[in-house]
Amino acid sequence: MAPKKVGTKRKAEKPSEETKTNVVTAQNGDDEHEEVDLLQTFSDNDSSDAEGDDQDSDDSDGYVQQIGSDAGSGDESEEDESDEVDSEDDGTEDEGDSEDSGEDEEESEIDGSEVEGGDEGDVSELEWESDDAMNDFLERLPAKLKNALEASLEARKTSKPVKEQGSKSDTQNKTATDKSIVSKNLKKKSKNEKVDTKKSSVKEKVESGSEDAKKKDEGTKSDVKETEESDIFKDIERRRLDPSTEYESGDTSDEEDIRNTVGNVPMNWYDEYPHIGYDWDGKPILRPKRGDSIDQFLKRMEDPNFFRTVRDPQTGQDVVLSEADVELIKRIQSGQIPDAAFDDEAPWVEYFTSEVMQTPISNIPPSKKSFLPSKHEADKVSYFVSLLKARKMKTKMQRAIENAKKRRKKFYMIWGMDDNTVEPMRRIHNNLTAPKRLLPGHNESYNPPAEYLFNEQEMKQWNLHEDNFRKRKLHFLPQKYNSLREVPAWDRYVRERFLRCMDLYMAPRGVKDRLLIEAEDLIPKLPSPRDLQPFPTTMSMVYEGHTDMVRTITVDGKGQFMISGSDDMTIKVWEVSTGRCMRTINVGGIVRSVCWCPNQALSLVAVAADRKLLLINPGVGDNLVVAKTDSLLKELPEDTTMVPERVKAAIQWEQATSEEWATGIRVVMNHFKEIKQVTWHGRGDYFATVMPEGENRSVIIHQLSKRRSQIPFSRSRGLVQCALFHPIRPMLFVATQKHVRVYDLVKQVMAKKLMTYAKWISSMAIHPGGDNLLVGTYDKKIMWFDLDLSTNPYKTLRVHYTAVRGVAIHKRYPLFASASDDKYVVVSHGMVYNDLNKNPLIVPLKRLQYHESYDDFGIFDVVFHPTQPWVFSAGADKTIRLCT
Amino acid sequence: MANKKESGSCQVQIKFITKQEQYAVPDTPFAVPTGITCTQLNTLVNQLLKENRSDISTTVDFDFLVRGEFLRQPLNEFLDDQHISHEEVVEVEYVEQHPTPEPMDCLMHDDWVSAVQVRNGWILTGCYDNTLHLWTKTGKHHLTIPGHSGPVKAVSWVYLTPTVGSFVSVSHDQTAMLWKWSVEENSVDCIHVCRGHERSLECVAVNEKSTHMATGGWDTLLKIWTTAMREKPSEAAEQVGESDETEVKRAKLDGSAKSHIKTPIMTLKGHREAISAVVWTDDQEIATSSWDHTLRVWDAELGGLKSEIAGNKSFFDMSYSPLNKAVITASADRHIRLYDLRSTEGTIVKGTYTSHTQWVQSVKWSTTDEHLFISGGHDCQVLLWDTRSPRAPLYNLEGHEDKVMCCDWSNPRYMVSGGADKTVRVFKSRLLPDSLGNDEDKYEL
Repeated sequence: MAPKKVGTKRKAEKPSEETKTNVVTAQNGDDEHEEVDLLQTFSDNDSSDAEGDDQDSDDSDGYVQQIGSDAGSGDESEEDESDEVDSEDDGTEDEGDSEDSGEDEEESEIDGSEVEGGDEGDVSELEWESDDAMNDFLERLPAKLKNALEASLEARKTSKPVKEQGSKSDTQNKTATDKSIVSKNLKKKSKNEKVDTKKSSVKEKVESGSEDAKKKDEGTKSDVKETEESDIFKDIERRRLDPSTEYESGDTSDEEDIRNTVGNVPMNWYDEYPHIGYDWDGKPILRPKRGDSIDQFLKRMEDPNFFRTVRDPQTGQDVVLSEADVELIKRIQSGQIPDAAFDDEAPWVEYFTSEVMQTPISNIPPSKKSFLPSKHEADKVSYFVSLLKARKMKTKMQRAIENAKKRRKKFYMIWGMDDNTVEPMRRIHNNLTAPKRLLPGHNESYNPPAEYLFNEQEMKQWNLHEDNFRKRKLHFLPQKYNSLREVPAWDRYVRERFLRCMDLYMAPRGVKDRLLIEAEDLIPKLPSPRDLQPFPTTMSMVYEGHTDMVRTITVDGKGQFMISGSDDMTIKVWEVSTGRCMRTINVGGIVRSVCWCPNQALSLVAVAADRKLLLINPGVGDNLVVAKTDSLLKELPEDTTMVPERVKAAIQWEQATSEEWATGIRVVMNHFKEIKQVTWHGRGDYFATVMPEGENRSVIIHQLSKRRSQIPFSRSRGLVQCALFHPIRPMLFVATQKHVRVYDLVKQVMAKKLMTYAKWISSMAIHPGGDNLLVGTYDKKIMWFDLDLSTNPYKTLRVHYTAVRGVAIHKRYPLFASASDDKYVVVSHGMVYNDLNKNPLIVPLKRLQYHESYDDFGIFDVVFHPTQPWVFSAGADKTIRLCT
Repeated sequence: MANKKESGSCQVQIKFITKQEQYAVPDTPFAVPTGITCTQLNTLVNQLLKENRSDISTTVDFDFLVRGEFLRQPLNEFLDDQHISHEEVVEVEYVEQHPTPEPMDCLMHDDWVSAVQVRNGWILTGCYDNTLHLWTKTGKHHLTIPGHSGPVKAVSWVYLTPTVGSFVSVSHDQTAMLWKWSVEENSVDCIHVCRGHERSLECVAVNEKSTHMATGGWDTLLKIWTTAMREKPSEAAEQVGESDETEVKRAKLDGSAKSHIKTPIMTLKGHREAISAVVWTDDQEIATSSWDHTLRVWDAELGGLKSEIAGNKSFFDMSYSPLNKAVITASADRHIRLYDLRSTEGTIVKGTYTSHTQWVQSVKWSTTDEHLFISGGHDCQVLLWDTRSPRAPLYNLEGHEDKVMCCDWSNPRYMVSGGADKTVRVFKSRLLPDSLGNDEDKYEL
């Protein structure tokens, strides 16, 4: 019995899920395909299970009920039911699956009602032991009923059993459910009639089946009529039978029997109102009248159905429950399965065996994936983890944007930049663009006009410059071919390409900013000598007359006369402007130094001749001065002070003898050593003599007015070369071989020591301002000392080739001169500015060479004219020369 | 024409003009080769003269001037140098060439001759041996006049009549001496010793009317003296007696005791250095040159500085010509410069004449020709210049063997120069017939 049932069930469900042809074959082939379609059935059952699960969300035992309904339908109804279902499926083949399932449910619902209808008699057997118990029930009942009704109302849309309950509880009015069922049935019928003629046999069978079912329905219905409140079903039946009213209430399955349209709201909201809601026409439904407690009591006493009368809160109507309802309630109360027909002890039908089968159902071996963890996934996960840790995880959106960007087509500006500027060459700045090749001309044509071809003369020229192709007019020979195809391959192509490449490769592509330093730039910018005029440029006068080397010269303050001292033991007085020797005075010794007294009131020259120092009146110039000088020197000053022995040993003053007087000598001073130099103080009273061999007495300062001498230094500091008075301040410069010491004569201390860094100083000259000293050395150098600046030379000039023997600074013009054994007199510009911030400007100007050398000696002394930019030089060639 | 054969080469059109009427030729333009030289031009002009003037038979030498400058080179070079177009007609002026001076005499002295001046036929020289010498124009030594105690630096005639003459000399001994020379008696008296200078005197000048003289020297002062002489009959008699003794008269050193001391009537201070030359530009105006690089013009009457021209070298000498009112100077370089004392704006130097190789020591204008002057320099040269020929002198008067220290052209017939070779050289300037005029007798004295 059980397997057969299964088979039928399968048969019934299969066509509903699958195609119509299947259904047909299943019906035609009967049970032949049972075992073959095992898997198919399995899947079908699965889907039906899922359906049942869905329904369980609302009603837990829906599935059970369905099964129960199936089970409870009895043996006799089995075949019919399945047939009926089949027919329905046929009819609804166009309408879609969802509707089919709904129809299935409704079909079974009807079955359920039939089953319940069959159990009608049980309800009448219900007996109440006492009033109390009945009351109790009544009190409890409405709540339960209410619940049940609500459940039925909700379940009506989806689940069959509850709907059945709900439909059954609706005694007075025909339920929407019924209507819908009826309508569906009718619809199916009409469709059934349209079914294909091919399957007419099947159709007939189905129709016959449906007719059978109708008959059965009527049978059951008649049973229900027997109960007093079964008019609902009658009505349903009537509608079912009457096709004209079939679609009256609409076609939807979720149509409800709503007489009160207030909806699912708590009905106590309407407690205060006379109505309890609104009917379909919008008219208020009046609260039905309720009798008082006496009426209730009477009703209870009189009405046998009182206990089964409940009030519908929505309509306010009294509803008399049917026997089945009561039975159902009873069963629920007692915790039994509501459906009395459900056999909960029916044997378990094993649709699938629980035994593990030897061979798998499917022949496909399980994939490796199914039992091995995926490495790729693991990688992916670890990658994501790392991204998350690094906070680089991107959302899908971000990734999508990025990918979109990547996928977008990219365009590169090939020839320039976006902003219309030429792109600068990378790595090469300030680039030198390669020269463009000239466009080909007519003569480069393969078929040039005749005038572009070389004539004989041009050809000769071409051949002439065989070696020096750069001299050629063109770098190729224009040639003529009749057609392009006759043009041979360019034989020098490879070479020319190569040369072109070499050109591009070897050419400096960047303009190099070379540091252009020329030797001239390193020379300090000195003004042009032309701008520093006047200065002596040419020799203008030669003073000839000496018979031996002229060692020393001096010029008088006016510049009219000049005195020279020579190795011929004479001094000569010269007229400067004419070169006339005015006087010659024999001094009896080699004259090493002459110096004109700077005092304009005296006509006196100090002449150092060997060990004697002679004060000579040259007798030129102002006669008055000459006479005055004579008279002054004639009488000796009173010698009151004692001369120290040390001084006395070094020097003795002597008045000139009458013979000497006649020659001009006025005073003779005998020194203990050879005098090298004599120099006057600016006022002309003091003068100093220098004896290099005098050791600690090498410098002696004399006072003319008192005819007194003193030795300022007690200690020798080396070979004293020369001494010089400061032109303004009481200071004495003493040059030893390597240093120049500056002594303050008032304080009697050494004020400064100038470092010359030379080996042997030869001469000194001081600037009239007294702040600049010029030193000439035997090692070819001339040094300019700025005494305010430093004790080191401000400038060292190396303008001579041999020993420098004399230096001089002009008193008025910014000139200084140096004389050397190389026969040169170098005249330089030496500008001293009043501005202390400005250093002296020293520019060598002119090299004068007029002297001749004699015995390796060149020029001994150089002196400037006091007022003119003229320079005198005393040479070893026995002459004195004046350059202007 | 003579240049027909050269017609193929470039030609330039010239027109001969002259200011000497006796040599005038028709002023028709001639086309001559551009490279024509002076000698060719000379031939051409002479040929023209022969054609046009029957009275001129001898060949005359001409000098040619283009745009006021002597032509000394081929014409085209000259035109190129002067940026004159070859297209236009070039006016060529021709003048009779200045006749070549002839060396006449060499007057030997005992020492350097530092000063010389000629008046009529007498040559007065000053010497470094403190003496003055008087020579005749024929080179005969007439008198030796001692008196100074220092070298004589300058001499100047004051006046000279056939019977009596007067001259002044200045010396290193800080005095100027005013001498009176009796021609017939052949005696010279120092009438006045002008004392006042504090240092050597360098220069002296007597004005046109011979009333005043001016001296300058190393004391930078300009002193103006009168030339008026004190008449002392008694002393004059004494002098006459003395003068009989010898031809060459030696004044004693204490001659000053006999002579009267003269003091300056005016002392003008302003120069900072020695005054090297002084000239009277007119009776009331003195111009001086100085070593302080300036030329100054003084008002002799009012005694003030009138104007000053600064040069850039020391001036050694200057000369003023009343004919063209210009001054030439010798300075401490090779150049002779022409100044116009009246103009103080624009280029002060109107011309520079360079041919000397050493300092120029002395310059002197011609008294008859406004273009001519002579100069003597340390390069032993005496040069005769024409102001229209700045690059080359007309003649080099050779003869000196040492520095030339003085020169004079007071008598247009004699160019005299003295120098360190202890000689005075006399050159006879053959005067142009028209330049002497009526004064010929005067100079012929």
